[in-house]
Order: sequence, then structure tokens, then C-alpha cells
Amino acid sequence: MPENTVITPDIQFVRELKEAGGDTLKKCYQCATCSVVCPMSPDNKPFPRKEMIMAQWGMREELSADPDIWLCHNCNDCSKYCPRGARPGDVLSVMRQKVIKENAVPGFMGNIVTDPKKTLVALAIPFVLFLVVLGLTGHLKIPSGEKIVYSEFFPIRYIEVIFISAVALTGISYLISLNGFWTKMSKQNGLSYTKGFVPALTETIVEFLTHKRFEKCEVNADRKTGHLLVFYAFLGLLITTIWITYYYYVPKIHSPIPLSDPMKWLANLSALALIAGVLILIYNRTKDKGVDTKNSSFDWTFVVMILLLAVTGILTELIRLAGIASLAYPMYFIHLTFVFYTIVYFPYSKLAHMGYRTLAITYSKMTGRDVM
Amino acid sequence: MGEQKSILIIGGGISGITTAVEAAEAGYDATIVEKRPYLGGRVAQLFKYFPKLCPPYCGLEINFRRIKQNPKIKFYTLSEVDSISGAEGDFKASIRVNPRYVNEKCTACGKCAEVCPAERPNDFNFGMDTTKAIYRPHDMAFPARFVIDEQACKGSACGECVKVCKYGAIDLDMKPATVELNAGSIVTATGWNPYDATRMENLGFGRIKNVITNMMMERLSAPNGPTKGKIQRPSDGKDVQSIAFVQCAGSRDENHLPYCSAICCMASMKQATYIREKNPESKVYIFYIDLRAPGKYEDFLRKVQSDENVEMIKGKVAKIEEDGDGGVVVTAEDIVGGGKIHQKVDMVVLAAGMESALKGNGLSSIIKTEDSGFVISEGQTAGIYAAGVAGRPNDVTNSVQGATGAALKSIQSLVRR
Amino acid sequence: MSESKLGVYICTDCGIGESLNIEELQKVAKAPICRTHPFLCSQEGAQMIRDDINNEGVNKIVIAACSQRVNYDVFDYDPLKYVTERVNLREHVVWSHPPNTDETQAMAEDYLRLGITRANKSEPPEPKITDLNRTILVVGGGVTGLTAAIEAAKAGSEVVLVEKEAELGGWTRKMYKVLPKKAPFTDLEKPDIDSRIAEAEGNDKIKIYKSTTIKKIAGEPGMYEVTVETNGSEETFTIGAIIYAIGWKPYDASKLDNLGYGKYKNVITNVEMEELASKGNISRPSDGKPAQNVVFVQCAGQRDEAHVPYCSAVCCNVSLKQAMYVRESNPDAGAYIIYKDMRTPGLYENFYKAAQDDEGIFLAKGEILGIEEAADGSLLVEVNNLLLDKKVTIKADIVVLATGMLTNMLPDDYEVNNLTPEYIGTIAKKETSDGIIEELEPVPISLNLAYRQGPEMPHLKYGFPDSHFICFPYETRRTGIYAAGAVRHPMDALQASADAAGAALKAIQCLELTSQGKAVHPRAGDQTFPEFRLESCTQCRRCTVECPFGVLDEDEKGTPQEHPYRCRRCGTCMGACPQRIINFKNYSIDMISSMIKSVEVPDEDEEPFILGLICENDAYPALDLAGQNRIQYSPNFRFISLRCLGGTNLVWIADALSKGIDGIILIGCKFGDDYQCHFVKGSQMANERLGKVQETLDRLMLEADRVQQVQLAINEWDKLPQILDEFSEALKELGPNPYKGF
Repeated sequence: MPENTVITPDIQFVRELKEAGGDTLKKCYQCATCSVVCPMSPDNKPFPRKEMIMAQWGMREELSADPDIWLCHNCNDCSKYCPRGARPGDVLSVMRQKVIKENAVPGFMGNIVTDPKKTLVALAIPFVLFLVVLGLTGHLKIPSGEKIVYSEFFPIRYIEVIFISAVALTGISYLISLNGFWTKMSKQNGLSYTKGFVPALTETIVEFLTHKRFEKCEVNADRKTGHLLVFYAFLGLLITTIWITYYYYVPKIHSPIPLSDPMKWLANLSALALIAGVLILIYNRTKDKGVDTKNSSFDWTFVVMILLLAVTGILTELIRLAGIASLAYPMYFIHLTFVFYTIVYFPYSKLAHMGYRTLAITYSKMTGRDVM
Repeated sequence: MGEQKSILIIGGGISGITTAVEAAEAGYDATIVEKRPYLGGRVAQLFKYFPKLCPPYCGLEINFRRIKQNPKIKFYTLSEVDSISGAEGDFKASIRVNPRYVNEKCTACGKCAEVCPAERPNDFNFGMDTTKAIYRPHDMAFPARFVIDEQACKGSACGECVKVCKYGAIDLDMKPATVELNAGSIVTATGWNPYDATRMENLGFGRIKNVITNMMMERLSAPNGPTKGKIQRPSDGKDVQSIAFVQCAGSRDENHLPYCSAICCMASMKQATYIREKNPESKVYIFYIDLRAPGKYEDFLRKVQSDENVEMIKGKVAKIEEDGDGGVVVTAEDIVGGGKIHQKVDMVVLAAGMESALKGNGLSSIIKTEDSGFVISEGQTAGIYAAGVAGRPNDVTNSVQGATGAALKSIQSLVRR
Repeated sequence: MSESKLGVYICTDCGIGESLNIEELQKVAKAPICRTHPFLCSQEGAQMIRDDINNEGVNKIVIAACSQRVNYDVFDYDPLKYVTERVNLREHVVWSHPPNTDETQAMAEDYLRLGITRANKSEPPEPKITDLNRTILVVGGGVTGLTAAIEAAKAGSEVVLVEKEAELGGWTRKMYKVLPKKAPFTDLEKPDIDSRIAEAEGNDKIKIYKSTTIKKIAGEPGMYEVTVETNGSEETFTIGAIIYAIGWKPYDASKLDNLGYGKYKNVITNVEMEELASKGNISRPSDGKPAQNVVFVQCAGQRDEAHVPYCSAVCCNVSLKQAMYVRESNPDAGAYIIYKDMRTPGLYENFYKAAQDDEGIFLAKGEILGIEEAADGSLLVEVNNLLLDKKVTIKADIVVLATGMLTNMLPDDYEVNNLTPEYIGTIAKKETSDGIIEELEPVPISLNLAYRQGPEMPHLKYGFPDSHFICFPYETRRTGIYAAGAVRHPMDALQASADAAGAALKAIQCLELTSQGKAVHPRAGDQTFPEFRLESCTQCRRCTVECPFGVLDEDEKGTPQEHPYRCRRCGTCMGACPQRIINFKNYSIDMISSMIKSVEVPDEDEEPFILGLICENDAYPALDLAGQNRIQYSPNFRFISLRCLGGTNLVWIADALSKGIDGIILIGCKFGDDYQCHFVKGSQMANERLGKVQETLDRLMLEADRVQQVQLAINEWDKLPQILDEFSEALKELGPNPYKGF
């Protein structure tokens, strides 16, 4: 018997999953009700039944290369019908968090961001960084002047240097993580391809834009609206960011931009959509614990961060318009901290699922396991 | 020793009957109180027993003979225990005897049913056919007397049955009576009810005509059932040529019955033999989580498995949908074979579990049960015992064993005093 | 009985009066008193009969009305004073045949003749009542035996308990913990066996023999002579009934050669695991290193026709229990259970759930592909994990084989899947005058019964004592001996304790009925006994061999020796006897012969005229049901009910055929492994006898096909017309009986 096939179930991994909110995973007795009721589950190698036994047996490696946990959209039909109360939906959600962490480059970043207990540390990094930068450059004071101009307080260049370098670093890390994930996934599953990468990816992206998959959810259909709003809000904010950068460098229009500007419309609309979307998601989480996912603290951390991002953004704008400088600048500072958290930590936060899910669905399309 | 007190047995199914005859043949008085108009309970509705594939009436017939010839056994049908007071050695039970509207003069000639204008759904056949309002509960009913369903009967305004009964056996004015019984000990043999299958919304029972329960399958197979033993699908009477058995329909499920009902695997294998024998071309699919054929029953499992037209698939059916032509599609993950299967069949049998019939009964203050309604033994009121499924889910032979033991325990309660 | 006086009462109700010529029927009766009544089961009708009994001295009462299965309470006369015979004109004649035809009338008349003959040939029984010993012997001092002893004592019985080991408590005493016995069935319990032992030892109704074996049990219920041996000294005492609770033993794991038991020190059985856990910490037998990973192999031999073909019912729960030991002993340890199916029926599902919830217990449906030892003494267990769809190797410190339970009825070095039928033993070749014949030599194990048929209980399969499984699980084939616990099929301690109480009841009940001279199940209450006219016995031994219950012993010449209290009154011995010397007061060879002779066989008829001998327990009710459902069948059958087809004597076949009856159909219960016969072997014995009827038929120059046995279940009444028609057709092919008209 070759030594490499020896498995040592990782009790530690089981414990981690349980602590992170998958405490029900041991209840599963492998009846496969979940695989049947799941609207996302393909006929060929369905999930999440097999993921549940992998979790019970502490198979960290196998799970981190498993595409199917990313096919799950947390509808929770499985948890509703599960005869043992094993809540596969929750367990898969926790697994995704664990896989983000497992695949994180560098590893310590994964540790910090995915662990809700370390949220303050994660926030402290940009906070201290900004303090140091502003302190060293003598900007740590409320700028004088009638108009509140945030770039007076935190010059655009600084922001660019900090953010662009940070995003570049973590972006590269993210690509490394995703590449590793793809390699592991395709190696472990060894399925043959029936479709090329590009057409599969294109299909996947079109699906994302329409959120068609979410429509398949039965017991938890409301999730679509919330998730769609958040998705498009982020898309809007991304466009806004590009737009304002364009203003800055090409027509040299500098902030504050008047409210009448279409860019500002998009920015404000996106912020409102983000708040609305997050509130819907939060509401769904609280209204019916039986059906919706039980709240792993990882998920909670993330929605709270997004909410704070949006709220501080709106407040930054409102206070500026109200002309209260003493409040506006600190609020801007705080907002930037959350922006940092959201953008720079993207590869380690819940948002990282975008990349993993894209690849997993693309893979499932390429291997003919797609249920759409 | 003073006057010997009786043993009160609540329930006249196979367990209650066994306790009564075993205690009486050991020299003690026993009184059975049965809710239905006949003795025999659930097993009377079965076509065959597993694993011997023999008819329950073979054993019931002997037991009825033992009851008939033994003056120490009394029984009340259509009766329920309203209340129990007192303590071991001196219980007082109040028994409500509901009117049968037919007295002991009945010769079961059946003239009354011929003229009766009213019909009722036949509960013995789970509503798959009807009887007249005055009816014999089933072919082999003991006592062999007719009974009137007061819900369905048009009352003395009609009175057709009274006119044709030359024995004066019908009394439409019969009133409920109360009997006070002094008992030294009490055996709860209240048995079980099939779990309400409509509560499993994903399994389609009640919505899809060709989805039936395992108890309905027994009646469908029995020569005295609604189809005279022909296994036909309810929607259009077509001979069933493919059938799926859905195990754990309610059992082992925290949303329904958290425990295992202990008999359903064997029952479905048994029912697989019914259809394989009656419709020799038929295909059978049994979907299970674990095949539970404990002890010597393994031989039966092996026998059924050796039939190449019987396929056993590890994976629970969690979705049942109607197909255009009356067919039904069941979906399960074939865990060992790999992949989800969508099997189209003529008819689906849900292996619905057993629910304690004591659940929701008003006697819970004196007869103590665990969460699911099964009678506990440790910490039970002294002098009260359980027999059969009242104590826990069980098959017939284990119920009979337990019922015999309960007879001894209840005798001990008499001897102690 | 002083003088017999016959009274015949014909009811004309329920269609009888409309379908038959009652006057003609009355003429057939030829009785001192013959009355008709329009409603015999009414108060007035019943009173009419009572008046005749009281005023006219009628003591043989023939009631020609409905089935004996109904109105049993109306026509109930003391069986010790009166002979009551029910002629079933309703279900068997008018409800199943066209009204007012010659054939139907002839049938009714014949049935009345049959009934009157039966009554005339019957006498009330004389019960044998003697003082009995009511002590109960419990064989085996494990959890079942102890419980049986305590329960019987609590019901007032004296008990003698015999245990072959020096200590009581059996396997349970070796257990670290036991399965949950009370709701919610989630937590392991400390064995309470010590308190049960103390309770038994402290009970002055229970006498305990330890280190004692049974040398011999002779006699019958109420008067068994038991000889025991304790450390070389023998003692003999009398007891009344026996509870057989000798328990189980584990399957020899060294026969499972692919699992490494005996080869690798760290492969142990579930029994050894209990010992290991009792010592306090679970460590490797090879080097004492605390176990980090333990693999449990379910069905180690069970569910495998090459080893133990059945399931042991308890091993899944036991392995879950032992996995909990592993986890308790080391919180970082892993316990792996590889199963075929998890079998935790009923409320034990809660226990499964509780064990599952433990993060260190890993369960999977799988197959063990092999076990190898690594250099460090650990074991590499290769598993095809069917849930993961993956072959994996688990590195284990200990592998526990969940071996199965064998009944202790099985002697050591006998294979459970290859036993001689009925009695466990060896086939010996014996030289006789007929050449070399093979003969079964049963092997003594624990009871050492001085019974002609063998020293132990007959088994059906796998060495478990045969019983009327399903409906009457306590009815073994040895009256007065009741098996309980794991000796009769695999079970856990909770079930065994309930079983023990049941067996105790049956032992007490047997003595109660026996003391009144009454039979036990299935003819409970029957006060008749077979009587032997031994002066005509030819020592053919058929009765002693064929009795399903081993009632008869033999003297050295082969003459049967009666043990009436072992008797179940089926009459198989009566049927077996070629000399016709075994008869009951109310059930005899002459009676049935006379009945057959009283039938009026038509001289000339197109349709064959057929005699049916039917089982009264199942075939008779099936005929009732046919009538009740107005199912019509040929009126050329005459059915005579027997206590059991086992009572069929071949002389009746000869009587019938020589009377010109065209054919004989025997309708009885299913036989074989799934037998339905209440007397276990009765219908099978009848069938074996029919195999020999050829000889008789040859002598009469008749075809063997004129006699047929069919197996009919009580609920197969709908099949009756077809069965009867087919037989009738077959006889038509053969042509009429040449003896017709002689």
C-alpha cells in the first residue's frame, strides 16, 4: 500500500468547521436528500452530500480543490429538507470561507481576514498606515478653508500610491490563489472537457450579470434581489472609481464633483443600492432562521463591513455638503479605512468568492456538469 | 388471596390480544378495551407477514379461538378508556363503550347492507373504496358482527336496515355506555398509526394519485382489498409494471419522526415480493438510506436481492413528480452507483413510518411517555406496562415477545397485592 | 359417560331453510331427538336445546347450522359432560352452492351424516390431573437467565438456576458499559448486572447452582427429573418447566483470514475491546501505546454466507458504543466505523445520532480491502469508502472486528452455515441389513434431554431453536421448555430481558394448564389425551419418530412410552400408526373411517366425487370465508376437518377409495422452512406419508394422482374454486374409481 494514500482525517479541520458555524456537519447520515433537492446540483457527481462526508472526515485538501462548494448559492433547500438537521447550506458556506483561507496568498492575510475575531486587526492595518502616512507628511489636521476638499486632507497621490500598490500586491496574490485553485481543482477531479475555457467563462459572466442561478432557489428565493443589488452596486462603484480617475487626469476635473454630474448620480445610486441590498440580505438572515443560513460570524462580519463602507461613504458626502469640517474629515478617514478593507482585502474576504465561483462554474460548464 | 383483580389491556391488536390470552391461560382475568369495532388492530390490515410471507389471520384465528373458549378474557370493542385513577393493585378505569347500533343477535347475514342507501369511505382500506353505512368491518372481522357508522347513517328516518333485519339485531337508538372497571394492572397496547404522508410535501402524497403509502399497498395486495388483490395504480387501474419504494418516508427525519420505525425496510422488501409474484414482468426499485434487516431477516433480504428485477439503491428519494401519462418520476442520488437518477415508475409506495397511537391521548398523566409518545418503562407509574409498538417501534414477533413479557409483569402486579 | 343420547338441531335460518329440503334432511338424522328451529341462535332456540339437555338427557348435541367459528358462545356446553358437534350447513353448503338442487341437498345430507357419526364416535375426555412440581429451571445465568429467574420469582414461582461458569452474569459482566436502556436512548449506562446478580442471590425463591452442568433431563412438564453435576458431585431433583437461556458466543474471528486476526496483535474482536476498555485506557495490545486511531470493521463475518449468513443485530450499536469508549479514553483519538448498513432500529436511532455528533467518530459505508501491519506496529487498513467513492488507507493503532453472535446451541467446531437439519450433529454411516445407511447422530450440548428424538432442542436454521416464529415465538418443539435471549436469535440485553419475562410467563402458564390436564398452545385448553392400545403395537417407531414435539420415548424394544404432558394433541402419532392403536376419546381413526363410510357416494355421476381432509385451523376458516363471500365451488366435495393434517392416517385413504370415492384432496398449511403449520411438522408429515401411499394404491390398482395435498393459507379462499376444479378435472381424466358401486 503506497504511503501517499494514507488518510489522516484532520480532527482539527472538523473542529474549525464546527467552530466557524458548521457545527451541524456531524449530524449528516448520508441520505443524499440535499443532493436531490438542491436546484444547483448536477446529475453527474451531485453535491452537497459528498462534501458533507468529506467535511466529516476532515478532508481539508480535497475540499479546497472541490468546485462544487462554489456552485452552491446558499438557497438552503438542502437545510430545509435535511432529515438530520445537518444544514448542508451552512456547512458549505463555512467551507467556502475555509477554502478562501486555505488558498490565501500570503497565508497570514487569509488568517487575519477570514477570522472574525481578528477584524479589528484587519481594520487597524489601514488605520495605522493612514495615520502614519498622514502624520509623516504633516497632514494629520483638519485643513482650513471654506470648502471641504478631501484631497486637501488626504492627497490623491497618497491614496493612489497606497491603494494601487496594495491592490496590485493582493491582486497578484489573488491571481496566484485562483491559479492554484484551478490547478488543484482540475487535477483532483480529472474530468474531461466538453467545452473551451473562453466560451464557458463568457457564459458564466453573462449568468452573473442576470443572476439567473439565483432564480432556481426555491425556499429562499428572496436572496436574488439582495445579492443582485449588492452585485450591481459594486459594479457601479467600480465604474465610478474609473470615471473619477479619468476626470482627474484627462479633463482634470477635481473633486468635489457637483451633484449634477452623471458620475455623481451613479456613485450615489450605487451607494444606495449597496445599502438596500445589504439590508435585504441582513433581513433575510434574521427573518427565518429555519430556512436561511444560520449566520456564520464570517458572513456577518462581511455584511457589516459592507454596510459600514456604504454608510460611511454616504455620511462623508452628506457631512461635506452640510459643511461640518470637523466631522467630515474624520469621517472621510474612516470611510477610506473601510474602502481599503473592501478593496485590498478582496482576495481574503467573502468577496473573494467571485473569482472562485467564476472558475468553479466555468469548470462545471467545461466538464458538462452544468445544471443551467 | 382475596378476589383476583383483572388486568386491563388498552388496545386489541396483536400485542393486546397476546397479553390477554397469555395472562388468561396462566390463570388470570384479562379485559381488552379496543377502539375499533373488531379485534386484530393493524395486523388485520396486512396481506402477509415478513419474512415467512404468511397471512396474519392464520395466527389471529388461533388467538381468537383462544379468546372464544376462555371465560377469563373479556373484551369491549368500539370502546375507549376515558380515565384511570388509583394505583397498582387497585386501578379504576372508566371505559366509554360507543354504540355499535347492532346487538349480539346479528348473524352477519348481510341483508341490512343490501338495503342500506348510505355509503362511507372504507377506512379499513384507507378510503380506496366504500362500504355501506351499516357494514362488516372486513371479511374476517372478529367479532363477526355488523356495525353502523353514525356519521354516514341517515338515522331512524331511514330505518331500512331495521325493517329487513328479522333478528331485531339493529337498534338505531343505542346510546354510549360507561363501564367502570377495577383493575390490578394496566397494559398499554395502543399500537400505532401510519404517519400522515401528506406532511412530506416533497413526496407528493395526496397530490399525486399514484403515490400511495405502504399500508395502502397492503390493502391493494390483499384478496379482500379494494382491487381484490390486483396491484393496479389508483389513477387509471393500469397494472403496475414498475414500482418505487421510498424508504424512510417520515422516519429517521427530525422534521417528522426522529426515530427509525424498525419495520419499513422489511415491509418494503415483502411488498416487493407481492408485486413480483402478481405481475411477473414488473420492475422494483427500493431507495434506502440503510437496509435494516436485522438478525435472521438477513436471509429475506438476500432472497429479495437475488431477484434480478429488484433493484436496491442507496439514496433517499427527496423529490417525486408527476409525469404526463400517469407515471411518476422519483429522484434520488445513487450514492454507490454515482449520480442522480430520475426513475419513472407506474406507482410509488412511501414507506411511511409508525407513530405511537398514544400520542395526544388524554391518559398521559398516568401513562408516561417519552418525547415521541412511546410508553417508557423506567420511571413509569407502578402497575402500568407497555406491549408492542406502544413501547417502541417493533415488528410483530418482537411485539408478541414483549406482550408475553408484559403479561408476566402485569401478573406480578396482581400477585404483589 | 353413562348412556349417550343424541339430539340433532337444524336451523333453517340464514338461507338454509330456503335452499334445502329440511324434511328430507330430518329423515337423514335418524336421531331420538331431531328438531328444527327458524332461528336457532336466538334465546328461544338455545333454550330449546337446553331444555332437551335438562329434560330429555341429551348429551350428544349436533347443531346443523352455521360455522363452529361463530355463535361459539351460544352453543357452549361443558366439554367434560357433553359432546357438541357443529354441522356447517350455512357457510359450507348453502352459501357456496346453488339452492334446491339435488347436489346441494346431497351435500347437506352427507354433512349431517358426518356430523352425527362424529358425535356418535366421540366421548367426553377424562382429563389427567395430578399434583405437579411447579419449580422452574432456568438454564443459564447470564442477563437473560438472571432476569427470567427474578421475574418468575416475582410472580410467585420457585426457581432453580443452573450456570456452568463459576460466576453469574455471562457476557454482560465483562462489559465496560452497556447500551442505553431508557429514553432518550442516547447515553451509555453502567452495567447493572451486579445488582441483578445480588437480587437473584438474595431471593429466597431462587436457588442457584454455579459451576454446574446438566447431565440429564428426563420426564415431562410438571415432573422433570433433572440431574446436575457440580464439581464432580451429582444431584437429582424434580422441576416443572424449563427456561432455556444459554446465550451466545462470538464467531471465531481467526476464520476471517483477510482481516488479520491472530496474525496481527493489534487486531482484536469487539469482545476483547470490552476487556480493554474495562482496564481503563485503550492502548495497543502489541506495545501498550495509547491508541490514537481505532478502526471498527462491521459485519466481520456476518451477512456473509461463507461465515455467518445472518446479521447479528447488535454489532452496529456495539461499535458505536465502543467508538465512544475510544473517544472517552483520548479526546484527540479518531474512531472509524466502516459499515455495510448502519442498523440501529427503532429508538436506537437516537443513539446513532448521539455517537455521530462526536467529532472524532468517523462513519462510512465501505468495504475492507485489506489490513497490513506497518513497521511501527500500526495497521494500514485499506478501505473502499463508498460514500467518498474513493479507496483510502487508514493508519490505525487498533482494528476492532465487530464479530457476530452465534447461539450456544451450536457446539464448538461446528460451522453455523453448514449444519445437519433439525438436530445438530454428525452424519454417521451405519451398516444394517439393508446395506450402509446414513444416520444423523445428534450431539448433546447443554440440556441432555432423555428424549428419543435427541438430547437438545430441534433447530430450524443456524442452530437457533425452532419455534413458531412470528405469531407464537415461544412455542418451541419441546413442550415446557421455553427459549429466551440470544440463544434463539441475536439480540441485545434490553430485548433479552423482555424475552426472559415472556419465557417466564410461558413456563408458569404451561404448569398452570398442565395442572388442569389441559393442553398448551395451539390447542390450549384441550383436555383430551392420546390413548395407546400397546398390546397391538408392532414397534414400528413411526409415532416416536414423527411426533413434532418429541412426546414419545421408546423402550428398548421400540414400544412407545407416553409422556402425556408433553403432548400438544395434534394427532400426528395417530396418523402415523399403521396399527391404528393411537386414538383420542373424541378424535380417532375409527371415527374418521366411520365418517367416510357414512358418506353416500353416488353410483353413477359425470363429475368425480371427492373427499377433502382439511386442516381445521386454516383450511376450514378459508372455506367459511369462501361461503361468506358466496364463492361457488363444486358440490361433489365432502370435507372432513382434522386437528392437523399430520393426523391423516393412510387407512382413511384406503377406506375412501374402496368406497368408490374418486379422489382425495388434503388441504393444509404450508410446510418447509417458512412453515405455517401450527404443529410445526404436521402438514409435512402428511405429505411424507402421501409419498408412501403409492404402495396402498398399487395394491388397489389405482393411480397415485387420485390423492393430492395442497398448501392453502387461511386468506386464500379466493383460490379455492380453481384448486378444487383443477383436481376435479384431473380426476375426470383418470376416469371413475373402478371400486364405485362395490
